[in-house]
Amino acid sequence: MKVIETGRRLLGLDHGGDRYQYVDDPLRGPVHASRQADRWVKSTCGYCSVGCGMLLGVRGERVVTVAGDPDHPVNRGRLCPKGLSEHHTLTAPGRLTTPLISGEPATWDAALDKVVGEFRRLLDEHGPESVAILSTGQLVTEEFYALGKLARLGMGLAHYDGNTTLCMASAVSGYKLSFGTDGPPGCYDDLEEADVVVLWGANIADNHPLLVPRLLANEAAEVIVVDPRVTKTAQLADVHLPVGPRTDVTLLNAILRVLLDEDLLDLAAARPLVSGLDELLAHLDEVDLVQAADECGIALDDIRRVARTIGGAERCLVAWSMGVNHSAQGTETVTLLNTLCVLTGNIGRPGASPFSITGQCNAMGTREAGFTASMPGYRSYDDSSHRRELAALWGVAEERLPTERGRAYPDIVNAVMNKQVKALWIIGTNPLVSFPNREVLEIAFRRLDLLVAQDGFETPTTAVADVVLPAAIWGEKDGTYTNSERRVSRVRAAVAAPGDARPDFDIFLAIAERWGCRDELFPGWSAPRDAFEEWRLVSAGRPCDYSGITYERVDAAGGVQWPCPADDPTVPLGGTARLYTDLQFNSADGRAVLRSVTRQPLRQPPGGEYPLLLNTGRTVEHWHTRTKTGRVPILESLAPEAWLEIHPDDARGLGVRSGDLVRVSSSRGSVDRLRARVTAIVRPGEVFVPFHWDERCANRLTTDECDPISREPNYKQCAVKVERVH
Amino acid sequence: MTAVPVELRRRDEVVRVPTSPGHMPELLPLDAGEQYRFGFSMSVCIGCHSCEVACAEQNGLPDGIVWRRVGEVEGGTFPDTRRLQLSMSCNHCLDAACLTGCPTNAYEKLDNGVVAHHADECIGCQYCTWNCPYSVPVFQPDRRIVTKCDMCLPRLGEGLLPACAGACPTHAITVEPVNIEAWRADHAAADMPHLPSSHLTISTTRIELPDDVPASTVAASDWSLRPEHAHWPLVWLTVLTQVAAGVSITASGAGDRAAAAGLAVAALIGSLAHLGRPGLAWKALRNLRRSWLSREVALFGVYAPIAMAAVLLPALAPLAALVGMAGVYASARLYIVPGRPAWNTPLTMFAFAATGLAVGPLVTGHEALGAAGTVAALVVLVANVLRLSGDPEVSRGGTPELYRHRLRGWTVLRVVLALTGLLALTAGLVAAAAALVVAGEVVGRWLFYVTVVPANMPGSFWRSSAGTHK
Repeated sequence: MKVIETGRRLLGLDHGGDRYQYVDDPLRGPVHASRQADRWVKSTCGYCSVGCGMLLGVRGERVVTVAGDPDHPVNRGRLCPKGLSEHHTLTAPGRLTTPLISGEPATWDAALDKVVGEFRRLLDEHGPESVAILSTGQLVTEEFYALGKLARLGMGLAHYDGNTTLCMASAVSGYKLSFGTDGPPGCYDDLEEADVVVLWGANIADNHPLLVPRLLANEAAEVIVVDPRVTKTAQLADVHLPVGPRTDVTLLNAILRVLLDEDLLDLAAARPLVSGLDELLAHLDEVDLVQAADECGIALDDIRRVARTIGGAERCLVAWSMGVNHSAQGTETVTLLNTLCVLTGNIGRPGASPFSITGQCNAMGTREAGFTASMPGYRSYDDSSHRRELAALWGVAEERLPTERGRAYPDIVNAVMNKQVKALWIIGTNPLVSFPNREVLEIAFRRLDLLVAQDGFETPTTAVADVVLPAAIWGEKDGTYTNSERRVSRVRAAVAAPGDARPDFDIFLAIAERWGCRDELFPGWSAPRDAFEEWRLVSAGRPCDYSGITYERVDAAGGVQWPCPADDPTVPLGGTARLYTDLQFNSADGRAVLRSVTRQPLRQPPGGEYPLLLNTGRTVEHWHTRTKTGRVPILESLAPEAWLEIHPDDARGLGVRSGDLVRVSSSRGSVDRLRARVTAIVRPGEVFVPFHWDERCANRLTTDECDPISREPNYKQCAVKVERVH
Repeated sequence: MTAVPVELRRRDEVVRVPTSPGHMPELLPLDAGEQYRFGFSMSVCIGCHSCEVACAEQNGLPDGIVWRRVGEVEGGTFPDTRRLQLSMSCNHCLDAACLTGCPTNAYEKLDNGVVAHHADECIGCQYCTWNCPYSVPVFQPDRRIVTKCDMCLPRLGEGLLPACAGACPTHAITVEPVNIEAWRADHAAADMPHLPSSHLTISTTRIELPDDVPASTVAASDWSLRPEHAHWPLVWLTVLTQVAAGVSITASGAGDRAAAAGLAVAALIGSLAHLGRPGLAWKALRNLRRSWLSREVALFGVYAPIAMAAVLLPALAPLAALVGMAGVYASARLYIVPGRPAWNTPLTMFAFAATGLAVGPLVTGHEALGAAGTVAALVVLVANVLRLSGDPEVSRGGTPELYRHRLRGWTVLRVVLALTGLLALTAGLVAAAAALVVAGEVVGRWLFYVTVVPANMPGSFWRSSAGTHK
């Protein structure tokens, strides 16, 4: 038989047609037989914060396909290439399927005993500052809520932060300073309802692709994109302002100044809603428009035109993303964007809002329910009434609650460097690729007594960890994600995690068990829903009020936007679309705070040995450090390597042509053998490298300068040199 | 685990649910004289590649096989730079070159306009991959046949859009009816910079360009010029058949005729290795009416037995020579296709004839003729390189680039072998000369295959337009 088979194959009598049959799928029509599902599970995409509704098609014990959820209000049935191939992450190689101690497989008991034992010993010997957690924006809200309680109340850690500080911290801080609490005021419908849409440092075409159809649906809107590169998004714009590096504050002050000069602000209407107006007016008085235009590298006429467009708009949406946040002046840039909206009356109305477009699928969840930048429910560490309230809700002594947030992510790394923090528990993030100035982090890791990494996949970070805890990933666990527009959507397990991998929720409860705090902090909990029910009570009455949100309501509405107080008949089924519709803000006096901001120049401007300015960012095919997308062959084939974008003028001077290999160096490190792409989408003097790769890691170059308020790193500008290599 | 079953709502997501208000993509029925074609709006394409992923998922394509590709073309000066994305699969041409050239008639132009490919009939000769000016058909190694986009025929049959169009977040891809005769008269809307001219095959894909296309553009893939397949079985086939014909023409004894017959038979047997499905090689005779490949197979298929018979029956020798020459002519003609600009010239015929003239006479003892053939082969090579030099389109200018730079050593070797062969000839070392000249022709033929740069759509930065292999 074998001989006949081989003969048939060599002669080509069989062309494998039986492997390429189509079957009629009841949901989607004819499809390749390998993608035929026998049941569908409703869930939400686990990559970015757009929060697209998805259907996971399961056959047997395997997710064989996905489809956009046609009923989901966010994406209305469509997905981006990462979403369309997301089921492949569940069967990708490199999954962690067993706990590891010093690289060797171990039992859960052994691994957890070691983690708990070591953490306890260090905390006993060196105090609550000696163990810290770096978490993520990728868990479900229920897990964030559980982890927060475990970290702060159970383990009593002083320092717990997440990679959201590398991502959206400036938006959080900016909202807090302007409006009193975090919370994106707008929603995606605003993209469709605005007359003018400003996208500031937000390349949604690459990074939030499913927002583009929402924007394009609004054919009448004038679209203004502010971005130093001619991104795919900039090319969709009616007006593109190619703002110079770190000149956003200058540009915003200039726009405000033009609005004032041309009498386009209704200051009388704004005055009762704000504080700090007179100081701001005095500050803007100092703005020299000619100088400002020169600093931004934008013609003054263009600034005037954009200011008039914004000032004349009935409804203007000002949305931003990492171009604003990833800056040493991110927070203050956010406050100015908020100020622009408040002064032009663009807040609390359809199509009119400041609006941060978040990064990770559930960065919002950890902001709301976690215990990092705020206490759960956007409560302040330094507000004793908030601490009292929480202590009462949880039935614990108020003294158990921390009075300050502890160190932010970059400051935890600093504390590891000086050995104040001796153990790190890293959950669902890969700092070796995503943290700036990688060499320092590598040194810091070597100074740790214990590095615990909890992840679904092998990563450069798990490779150097002392203990590795294998976690379930998207598609294998239950809970909720909250997207950029405050919409809570369900995430569901479609299949079981492989091997001994367990949902993060179970890992947290198992550690709580060993810590002896499970019964106190998580009484009777067995599933994420238990956490959700408690979180509903804890969030009641807070700006992020979940009390009216149930899993059933989320299903019925296709996602519910907070605030959604219980038993409030005025709140629609799908929750509250917009914040501040009554123009009452969350600050103590209910007013929005206008801050006067002066531009801070770059700490290390290009020049001398490092004459070029490096900008880092993303590409549509990959997600963060490619832990998942790097294992999906079609995505890898679309973008297999990092590259360097360099302007033709600079390339000519360096003798570099497209396809040549180059070395990029900063005063901190260098990246070798990057493929050069000579392109005029970057300005002369500026280069761009996507950050996703461990090999050719852009974060060997980036500076660890951080925003003084949000502590978010300044990923977008650092001085480098480029050389051709052979 | 809480696997909540979803209530099935049949395929609303593709046909009826609007992604943007007022825009409901749906498949319109065809009127008389119409066919389906792709429409593509470059102004709303955001280069997200969802179409490529959706295509691979819909069709279960193995890694590395792509039926839909997104290419990029860039022009303009900062900040008025424009990067144009082109998403393209099969253009379902009115005059489909894949179909015309296919020796087995595996292609069929369906009533709805789809250029369908029948896997059962395909023998994996890959001639369609040379003929298509957009490099659409791809050889799929796991099946050892060619495959391509069929506009999701099973879906069209149920009134559904193809997967790519159904997945496109911005509706940049559509499927629409087009009046066939009107399109034949005016198909300028299928053209864009760096895309082979639509008049070659009357591509039906309507490309809606933005208003501000820069005057001068480059394709993102231009840097990644690389050599094509060597096609060793074809190096073998063409060199051997040409030498055999050269021997037949100049044969003076039974020994020569036996040599010709032996070469012809060896050539044919070796050529089977080129086919994905050699057991079905006979199907290559099915398109004598249109395909030069069918004619080549037929002529060499006849030539070999005649040449064998001529060993014993000298009266058949002239016929053998004639059929051999006809075979070489058909062989050359099949390379003269717009999809392979470096071959698309009468010089290809001269090159093939020169190989036969260079080596055949050296076998049969006509040294002067052999020397003339050897020189002619070099002249043809130089003429072709000069013809293509300096052309900004990579499918033309890329060939001299490969000869002169990437493969310079091989080019030098090819010339040196011929020249030392000639030297050996003047020194009377005929056997050595023959060996050197044969080696030169083999290296030359290898270069012929690897230096061709296929006509293609513009590629992306990472996905070369130059060829479909890795």
